[in-house]
Amino acid sequence: MNYEKLFEAAKAKGFTDVQVHMTDNRDLSIEVFEGELEKYEIADFSSLTIRGLYNKKIASYVTEVMDDEAIPGIIDKLLQNAQVIDSLDEAIIYAGDERYETLEDLFNQDLGELDVAIKIDIAKKLDALLKAKDPRITFVESFYSESTRSVLLQNTKGLKLQDKANSAVFGGSVIVKDDNDQRTAFDLVISNDFRDFALEQLAEDIVSHAVKSLGAKPVPSQAYEIVFDRTAFATLMSAFQGVFSADNVQKGMSLLKGRLGTVVGSPSVTIVDDPFLKKSSRSRSFDDEGVATKYKELIKEGVLNTYLHNLMTANKDGVKSTGNAFSGAIAPVNLKVLEGGKTQAELIGAVTDGLFITDVQGAHAGANPISGDFSLQAMGFVIENGVLGKPVALITVAGNFLELLKNVIEVASDSKITYYGITTPSVRVGKMPVSGI
Amino acid sequence: MLLEKHIIEKILDAGMATGADFAEVFVEETYANNLQMVGGNIEKAASSRVFGVGIRLAQKLRTVYGYTNEQNPQAMIALAENLAKSFSGATMQRVPLMPFERGMKHQAKINPKDVTQAEKVQLMKRAHEAAKNYDEVIQQVSIRLGDSIQEVMIANSDGRFVGETRVRERIFITAIAQKDGVMQTGSEGPGSGKGYEYFFEDVNIEDFAKEAARTAKTMLQAEDCPSGTMPVIIDNKFGGVIFHEACGHSLEATSVAKNASVFCGKLNQRVASDIVTAIDDGTIANAWGSANYDDEGNPQQKRVLIEKGILKSYMVDSLNSRRMNHMPTGSSRRESYKYAPTSRMSNTYIDNGSSTLEEIIQSTPYGLYAAKMGGGSVNPGTGDFNFAVSEGYLIRDGKIAEAVRGASLVGNGADILMKIDMVANNLDRARGMCGSVSGSIPADVGQPAVRVSAITVGGKKGAN
Repeated sequence: MNYEKLFEAAKAKGFTDVQVHMTDNRDLSIEVFEGELEKYEIADFSSLTIRGLYNKKIASYVTEVMDDEAIPGIIDKLLQNAQVIDSLDEAIIYAGDERYETLEDLFNQDLGELDVAIKIDIAKKLDALLKAKDPRITFVESFYSESTRSVLLQNTKGLKLQDKANSAVFGGSVIVKDDNDQRTAFDLVISNDFRDFALEQLAEDIVSHAVKSLGAKPVPSQAYEIVFDRTAFATLMSAFQGVFSADNVQKGMSLLKGRLGTVVGSPSVTIVDDPFLKKSSRSRSFDDEGVATKYKELIKEGVLNTYLHNLMTANKDGVKSTGNAFSGAIAPVNLKVLEGGKTQAELIGAVTDGLFITDVQGAHAGANPISGDFSLQAMGFVIENGVLGKPVALITVAGNFLELLKNVIEVASDSKITYYGITTPSVRVGKMPVSGI
Repeated sequence: MLLEKHIIEKILDAGMATGADFAEVFVEETYANNLQMVGGNIEKAASSRVFGVGIRLAQKLRTVYGYTNEQNPQAMIALAENLAKSFSGATMQRVPLMPFERGMKHQAKINPKDVTQAEKVQLMKRAHEAAKNYDEVIQQVSIRLGDSIQEVMIANSDGRFVGETRVRERIFITAIAQKDGVMQTGSEGPGSGKGYEYFFEDVNIEDFAKEAARTAKTMLQAEDCPSGTMPVIIDNKFGGVIFHEACGHSLEATSVAKNASVFCGKLNQRVASDIVTAIDDGTIANAWGSANYDDEGNPQQKRVLIEKGILKSYMVDSLNSRRMNHMPTGSSRRESYKYAPTSRMSNTYIDNGSSTLEEIIQSTPYGLYAAKMGGGSVNPGTGDFNFAVSEGYLIRDGKIAEAVRGASLVGNGADILMKIDMVANNLDRARGMCGSVSGSIPADVGQPAVRVSAITVGGKKGAN
């Protein structure tokens, strides 16, 4: 599409300003099952988001049909949409910041150029390694997927920005079975550097976790001290990341409302948004409104420092946008819980009678981001006198997000980027109610 | 025509040139609108248009899939050629395409494209007023309204050549009650596979708005749920999420074909107590999860999954059927052309039993009454599931007692089906979005009230 033509046509219909946001995606996805390449998927697609400012309101239109003939239809629909918006907030199209961070390592050319056969091969190798690890393994699946995304943002205020990133995910899953039980395990590594995909370690982690879980049973219902493994804690964080959105705060839909500058967590808790995180495909130098992204401490040593803003919420609060407008909402780029000084083993060693939780499930339903309450299915292991014991499953761990943050005793130093785009270490917390038998 | 027949034939031919024994083209164009209202004002108005082509090839058990939204037919043919490189062998003969067949069931009377944005806003304002004015504790109301018109065309090397228009709309009303620093929510999400006649003629939007507000207010006054194992009565409509999560996913070929489900090898065996009959029916007129065809172009069907406790059928797509020695059941679905299709649920429910809800409550000395369920999830490999109770009450001495909040239920699918010991006669369904490997798709869940004799209830209050 000729953007200048689109801009002109929109201005002729009364739009003050217009912005286009174009993404080009190239994806590859490989799955190996029973030693064979079972699924091979390639994709090539683009999407154009048009935002038009009309009478201080912004309406949007997303299209995958980008020929010039589509322009009149797009403008008509934009106009209809702009005319029904009656919120009192004034929107703007942004002229840009003076400086944007340069994120060169976000796109790793070597990864894209690496032969597909090598990518298929690594998935086959993982499959074979997993299968050979233990006779109780009844099912193995491994996968490799890669995506490359380029973004172009351009508007009638003269702003023009571009970003390009690629990233790959490599992982596998197994089912193990003995006479009495059947368990699954799954793990993955995210990076845009192929050298990070350490086969042996990944296979060992997956299988040892599955085998150790065999025979997992609920524990008696009572309150336990808990060590959350990093992925389990990331799942919890992902369910509640919306509480940092200034939009939710301003509408009375966040439990952090009115708590700026106050203590919301224990002194061990520092949570940041790091848009420049290396090897994360989510990293960005600008957000969808064209605002420069920045590193910020959301919670510093337990004290709530800032909310996440877009242009509109920032204007309302009389602050600057934090550069967190993404896909029509406010979201962190790379949420990170900062590490403490101890190892995970030291965290576990400090618990006399508790649980090591390796996985929580159902966060999309069992966690209420507005009230902060959660009650989630969990699995893991008993901790007795600082030592891991029997496997545990079919229990729930319940609490409230704010109470949880205040309940954090110490934080380990074993951070990892998770599937949710959240980086966190393992965390030890005080007693929480657990429901089992 | 989304794409001309001769181009589709060229794509299929390019796909079959190097030994693939199956080729399929899925063409889609979708128009969608989304409106978002907070505090009675429209904050967001967005529309979208999606167009793309998904091409799938298979040789025995191996499949390759590619998609593009290039409009140029040459790019689509090139994609098929590129995918075909994965195979080697002689060109397979394909069955000539049948005359194009257009599915005419599930028609919309009032098409979303004939409804102005202003009329939709009016509907949302009515919902806002009804929820806001329900009670002074209702501090905020958030409403989303979305509609979509999905035009699909599916052709394959077995000669299938079909298409249909799928119209859907849904409103999601969330009421937030607040008092003394505590916030609780109530939500209702009615929708339909009809046109806007559903909202304008069939139902009264105010009823749903008030219901969302009532739940929020009730939960504000509720106590934290105690934890422990107890009998649980799960009421109808969205209560059916229990079957959807606990059993439905484990009956999909996606997990059964790979021997990754707890229900593998259990056909014609007892998997549930004998009062349980469960059905997945993609043919219900204008239902949320219905369609004329599945996303492989086969007619949607009504599938009896479990009859009086005996496992009768899995949900099977054509490629997994190759692994399973089980006929395909018209169950293949996908979110869009960006996903290869696989076996999924449509409108899934437990059928009516012979008890009444009152009888079930009266015969329960102590337990939890889950009046409304939230969502949940399951691990098909183990059958372990969880789901959230969004409105719950304790039952004491056969009567509904105090409201409790923050409850979740965890259990095992295979185990819980055996523990259903009472089934009521108030079957009703509710709308849901189901997420799995082939994306997020509309699916109805449903059941009458059922009682599970023992299930683990998790809550903040701790053990009694």
